[in-house]
Amino acid sequence: MSSGDAALQSSSSKASKKPTYSRFTQQELPACKPILTPELIMAAFIFLGITFIPIGLSHLSASDHVVELIDRYDEDCIPVDNSNSEAAYNKRIGYIQDVKTDKTCTRTLIVPKKMKHPIFVYYQLDDFYQNHRRYVKSRNDEQYRNPAADHKTAHCEPESMNNDNQPIVPCGLIAWSLFNDTYSFSVNGNSLPINKKGIAWESDKTHKFGSKVYPKNFQSRSLIGGAKLNESIPLNQQEDLLVWMRTAALPNFRKLYGRIETDLEANEMIKVVINNNYNTYTFKGKKKLVISTTTWIGGKNDFLGKVYITVGGICLFIAVAFISVYLIRPRPLGDPAYLSWNLDPASN
Amino acid sequence: MAGWRGSRGGGDGGAQSVERVSSSRTVRLGKVQPQAPGHRTVFCNDRDANALAKFKGNSVSTTKYDVFTFLPKGLFEQFRRVANLYFLMISIISCTPVSPVSPITNVLPLSMVLLVSLVKEAWEDWKRFQNDMAINNSSIEVLQDQKWVFTPWKKLQVGDIIKVKQDGFFPADLLFLASTNADGVCYIETANLDGETNLKIRKALEKTWDYVNPEKISEFKGEIQCEQPNNSLYTYTGNLIVDKQSLPLSPNQLLLRGCSLRNTEYIVGAVVFTGHETKVMMNSMKIPSKRSTLEKKLDKLILALFSVLFSMCVLGAIGSGIFINPKYYYLRFENTGRTEKQFNPDNRFVVAILTFFTLITLYSPIIPISLYVSVEMIKFIQSTQFINNDLHMYHAESNTPASARTSNLNEELGQVEYIFSDKTGTLTRNLMEFFKCSIGGEVYGTGVSEIEIKIAQRTGAKVESQKQPHAAREKGFNFDDGRLMQGAWRNEPNPESCKEFFRCLAICHTVLPEGEESPEKIRYQAASPDESALVIAAKNFGFFFYKRSPTTIYVRESHVEKMGKVQDIAYEILNVLEFNSTRKRQSVVCRYPDGRLVLYCKGADTVIYERLADGDGDLRRISREHLEQFGASGLRTLCLAYRNLSPDEYENWNEKYVQAKSSLRDREKKLDEVAELIEKNLILIGCTAIEDKLQEGVPQCIETLSRAGIKIWVLTGDKMETAINIAYACKLISNSMKQFIISSETDDIREIEERGDQVELARFMKELVKNELKRCNEEAQQYLLSESRPKLALVIDGKCLMYALDPSLRVVLLNLSLNCSAVVCCRVSPLQKAQVTSLVKKGANRITLSIGDGANDVSMIQAAHVGVGISGQEGMQAVMASDFAIAQFRFLTELLLVHGRWSYHRICKVVTYFFYKNLMFTLTQFWFTFETGFSGQRFYDDWFQSLYNVIFTALPVIIIGLFDKDVNATLSKKYPELYKEGIRNAFFKWRVVATWAFFAVYQSLVLYYFVVASSNRAMNSAGKMFGLWDVSTMAFTSVVVTVNIRLLMMCNTITRWHHISVGGSILAWFTFVFIYSGFVLPKEQENIYFVIYVLMSTFYFYFTLLLVPVAALFVDFIYLGVQRWFFPYDYQIVQEIHRHEVDNNRIGLLEIGNNDVSPDDARRYAIMQLPGQKSKHTGFAFDSPGYESFFASQAGVYVPQKAWDVARRASMRNRPKPPRKNEIIIYYTILYILFFFLNTYVAFVESMYHIIPQCSNDSY
Repeated sequence: MSSGDAALQSSSSKASKKPTYSRFTQQELPACKPILTPELIMAAFIFLGITFIPIGLSHLSASDHVVELIDRYDEDCIPVDNSNSEAAYNKRIGYIQDVKTDKTCTRTLIVPKKMKHPIFVYYQLDDFYQNHRRYVKSRNDEQYRNPAADHKTAHCEPESMNNDNQPIVPCGLIAWSLFNDTYSFSVNGNSLPINKKGIAWESDKTHKFGSKVYPKNFQSRSLIGGAKLNESIPLNQQEDLLVWMRTAALPNFRKLYGRIETDLEANEMIKVVINNNYNTYTFKGKKKLVISTTTWIGGKNDFLGKVYITVGGICLFIAVAFISVYLIRPRPLGDPAYLSWNLDPASN
Repeated sequence: MAGWRGSRGGGDGGAQSVERVSSSRTVRLGKVQPQAPGHRTVFCNDRDANALAKFKGNSVSTTKYDVFTFLPKGLFEQFRRVANLYFLMISIISCTPVSPVSPITNVLPLSMVLLVSLVKEAWEDWKRFQNDMAINNSSIEVLQDQKWVFTPWKKLQVGDIIKVKQDGFFPADLLFLASTNADGVCYIETANLDGETNLKIRKALEKTWDYVNPEKISEFKGEIQCEQPNNSLYTYTGNLIVDKQSLPLSPNQLLLRGCSLRNTEYIVGAVVFTGHETKVMMNSMKIPSKRSTLEKKLDKLILALFSVLFSMCVLGAIGSGIFINPKYYYLRFENTGRTEKQFNPDNRFVVAILTFFTLITLYSPIIPISLYVSVEMIKFIQSTQFINNDLHMYHAESNTPASARTSNLNEELGQVEYIFSDKTGTLTRNLMEFFKCSIGGEVYGTGVSEIEIKIAQRTGAKVESQKQPHAAREKGFNFDDGRLMQGAWRNEPNPESCKEFFRCLAICHTVLPEGEESPEKIRYQAASPDESALVIAAKNFGFFFYKRSPTTIYVRESHVEKMGKVQDIAYEILNVLEFNSTRKRQSVVCRYPDGRLVLYCKGADTVIYERLADGDGDLRRISREHLEQFGASGLRTLCLAYRNLSPDEYENWNEKYVQAKSSLRDREKKLDEVAELIEKNLILIGCTAIEDKLQEGVPQCIETLSRAGIKIWVLTGDKMETAINIAYACKLISNSMKQFIISSETDDIREIEERGDQVELARFMKELVKNELKRCNEEAQQYLLSESRPKLALVIDGKCLMYALDPSLRVVLLNLSLNCSAVVCCRVSPLQKAQVTSLVKKGANRITLSIGDGANDVSMIQAAHVGVGISGQEGMQAVMASDFAIAQFRFLTELLLVHGRWSYHRICKVVTYFFYKNLMFTLTQFWFTFETGFSGQRFYDDWFQSLYNVIFTALPVIIIGLFDKDVNATLSKKYPELYKEGIRNAFFKWRVVATWAFFAVYQSLVLYYFVVASSNRAMNSAGKMFGLWDVSTMAFTSVVVTVNIRLLMMCNTITRWHHISVGGSILAWFTFVFIYSGFVLPKEQENIYFVIYVLMSTFYFYFTLLLVPVAALFVDFIYLGVQRWFFPYDYQIVQEIHRHEVDNNRIGLLEIGNNDVSPDDARRYAIMQLPGQKSKHTGFAFDSPGYESFFASQAGVYVPQKAWDVARRASMRNRPKPPRKNEIIIYYTILYILFFFLNTYVAFVESMYHIIPQCSNDSY
């Protein structure tokens, strides 16, 4: 007989159909059954509290060791009054867009505490949407990486080709709008050198930007967005660009400008000469200069420490609350009286 | 009309051929399907003549697709699901420039889901195809040139003459011509058709008996005119025209494909229907599948998600319209020809519209695409692995395991509030035993029925149940009265009546004897156990029916002429007027050897009493009393009657009968009408009473179920007294309950009935039912308001129910019956059963379950939310229509309280968790949108987003859907009240969903803002800053960790699979991101290059990873703690009560099945009992118990336990702990990885493998 008939036959066979025992099919896999007992809850919260608070404290203290100086200069470095009027707004724009005026501006900062080197210099922009979809995608990493791919300007519109239809390297809005304020520092008349090497992440230098890709046709159109690039330096050496192009997550962001490799003493006066070129006036953004030291957690960052302490504190508080509830109104574990059908016999 | 043309021209070959040609021409010319003629004409043994009619071939294909249609058709099927269609649309949008994400984000999950579904479909179809091939190629002997030639089934054509040997299957629907048995009978088994295993007899027409050998049959030139192919298994009408003589055909001559030949050497038949036109194939239509209530609610949830999605998108779109402004010069919003419309500030409206679509694609993961697939997979494993394999639901006596015939309704089982149960065969065993009888006004049989005992216990009376030593007992006969045994009936007051009584029992039936012709060894094949009980009774009274030929019944009669004398008498059976549910009776016309013509009739008391001859009112009255008395004892009664016929009268009638029998149209109706003509003026002989015992464990089961808050309604065709008594016996009704009885058996109604005015009767009944209902309802309200609040019970009979179901009274009936904890409906028809079921289902919107075993329960089973069939008994029709099949009523406890409850819990968890994880994930995106100028910039990398659902969070939720157990099976049954949580739908209320939504919002805020806010400063001592992608990868890592840990928090039990899947999912994320960001790939992923390594080089990463999930989850943790402490669910209390107990469930398991533990099981059990391997998870050692059995059983390979395994495990216990800790950690990690892959693999193989047995069942 063929297999088909065999299949038919098997349905009428008298073999035992008793399922074989296995822990899987009988749903008896070994398992632990954690019950959220009050003890467990209290223990968990106390544990969380006593681990989180020290972590938070250490974070806060590390953050406390950071010396940070912030100076907003966009308003002061422009010879226009601070009013919100249309006229002032236009004037500000006229000023910043005028190529001929000298936009140098000198600021004096006082070091509050001793700052050990390395001291990091940042620029901070507020209300600058580096994370806008049109902005984020306006780049072509292949072009940046590969010297033979300079014609690859997909996604780079409207900064992909110059007026002669030659590809712009590096293309795209991000590169085009490169930040171009410059800072030079001096203490007591001695200029402080700023080290601009090693400010970008290593992976950007080694892989994302090519060592044989040179800027071409950059900022050659009438509309100039920001800094120009030295066409004789390959992209992966232009660390300012690399830093700029690691687009920030939020509209208020800081970017590393350079390092000061000498210590600064407390109450020292730092003179900063700023070339106030970058246009934040059209969109009413802010520009700030930040000088900061770091510790193991990085820059001044109270947030994590505060949250750790808050969460730890809440945990401890809840543990205490649970304990007091436990003392005032204990619920005996597994009391059948709490079963709904025992609470309300009528519903049965 | 066309139907009659054929028979008119039956004798005229010429006319026939003209018609044939013309019909075939229409086909050829118009390519239009001709009007199906009312009949088909088949020329036996003449392929050329049949060729013109273009009958279909015999090859069968049950596949859904072929090579070419698979993709289009399969995809079409998939896209009929709204979720898939939605994702298809999203995928299409994501190919446009509007999309912020690359198409891969949406295409990948969709194609994964489609791939899994399509592979499953393809596999199933491939199995079906193989099955078809095997069947199509099996061979059969066909007559060719006076010889039998082996031919494959598929080559068979209509009109062929074939030979089927013993135990062979019929390859097509055959007209039975001849058999090797004398009298042209053969026996067939129809197990494949309806599951009934008793043999059925088929009889060829006398005219064709001789065509047994090939030489003879090749001369046979018959012409069959019969009905067109249809799916009615039990009807067939047609005529066979041989030698210009038209012979009527009936189902008796039809051998259906799928049945097999038994007890017959071989038969010869002519093929009438082939392939897909056979009755069995026409029956294989798909029944519309039921969807569970939870799933319907899930649709609403999805709809709610859609509206959330919509409002999020609208909000974002408005924002984008407002935001867009040329002042952001670096974004170059300008209206040049080359700028995309979405960035054109001059038309903010267009910007908003386009952004709307952008955001839809961005937020699309809010609809969990893998939800349906996962839930389906979970349910499939639940039903095929857990329900079908549960040893607690295996009935050893009938060798029947439980079977889930659909996997759609598992969780519905956990929410059933109303059970509608049949009585016979469901509450009772359907093991009929002849128990008492009443002959000529005298009651015989002294036994006390089980129900009488229960009644007596109720009233407190003592029952003496001593058995008389000489009581005769065998299966089907439990009669205890010396007055009738061994011929003693001759001395009774009515010996003549007794004789007629016994003869009626021995002759009037359709039972088949099988085996040796001795009273001890003979076995009776009967359609119903009642029938065989009656024949067995006749045998015990000395009227031994031992042989049946199609025309004769042979009875060995003892003690008739005088004591001790035995004689064989052959009664010629002239006509059998068969039983059906409208007739409720069965008659046989037989001729005694001395020529006496008698009609014996047996049937329900109501129909017999209507047809009795006048006179002898005393006997009628006394018998009726007896009937009521039997009914009160819970016995099933039948009345027996006979009638002497004169030859003339008979001949007259027989003519009409033959005419009716050979009619092609409405044959059954006509036969019934003709039967009416002769079944009258009957003489009452007496009545029989058969006991049907309660099934084992029914009272306990009902008690447990009612404690679980389930209300049980018994719907039965029995008499009111019987029904009430059964209800008492199975503890459905107790004396403490207040009973409302609405009965049509009142004197007023009888009076009107006797007047015979139907209109008046209907009016009166309606009024009565209305008043009764109103009165009962008011009374019920009073009881409900009273202090004691007694439980209420309603008993109503079929006639009253008919009026009560009237739309105007329906509400009252519903109100009343919903207040009752037990309802008994007696004397109800199958249709009324279904009506009552849908009354509660639709009217009260409660979840209903119907359970029954017979064909009369089919409508009720289909009407209810969940249909349960009792398998392993009587017929299979109920099982075929059911969603679940169990062998015993008491298994309902297991099915509902254990499997149903678990499934409900699990599916609720799965669904709410899916909802939560996708909402939370999408919300983090949403918060980001606010900070990007509503541009729709994506926060996560495309691949992160697309793999979130299919890899990083996919498995754990399936594991929870399979393994989570709040309390174990024993406790589920010990505390049936736990089930009420399901009835109240406590775990999938909008409140529950809202709680989850709240936590999703909270967690998304924490996850997004904590990560983002803490990342805007220098991140390491080198003062470098993070970019967007660093932050988003950090956030994504936190999301994956949080979501997976949240899953662990909702587990009641944590098996090693939980660890493997949760650990595996988190590990999978890290593995993925390590690899993914480790290489520079062309396009797409450049943003992510090296991100994870940058992240992991900072302390920030680790501290955030520690903080954020904790901060996100500790509110959940508080919630869980407070909920458990102050508002504990019942199951949580039960968990606490039994927190120190070790599961001892399996000890009971091995006792089930009557100690027939196989050595393997015993050994496995012994191994599992070994110390040190108890219930706690101890690690992932490969040799932990249950491991082999699990994998092996999944792979279908059985790995026998070896003796040394036992020894080794035993010795392991005392081995000191290995000191090398580091190695263990590494080992642990590697195993984690290994297990993850194994896990995925197994899950896949598992689902694939278990489709196979399913296929083989589907083949017919």
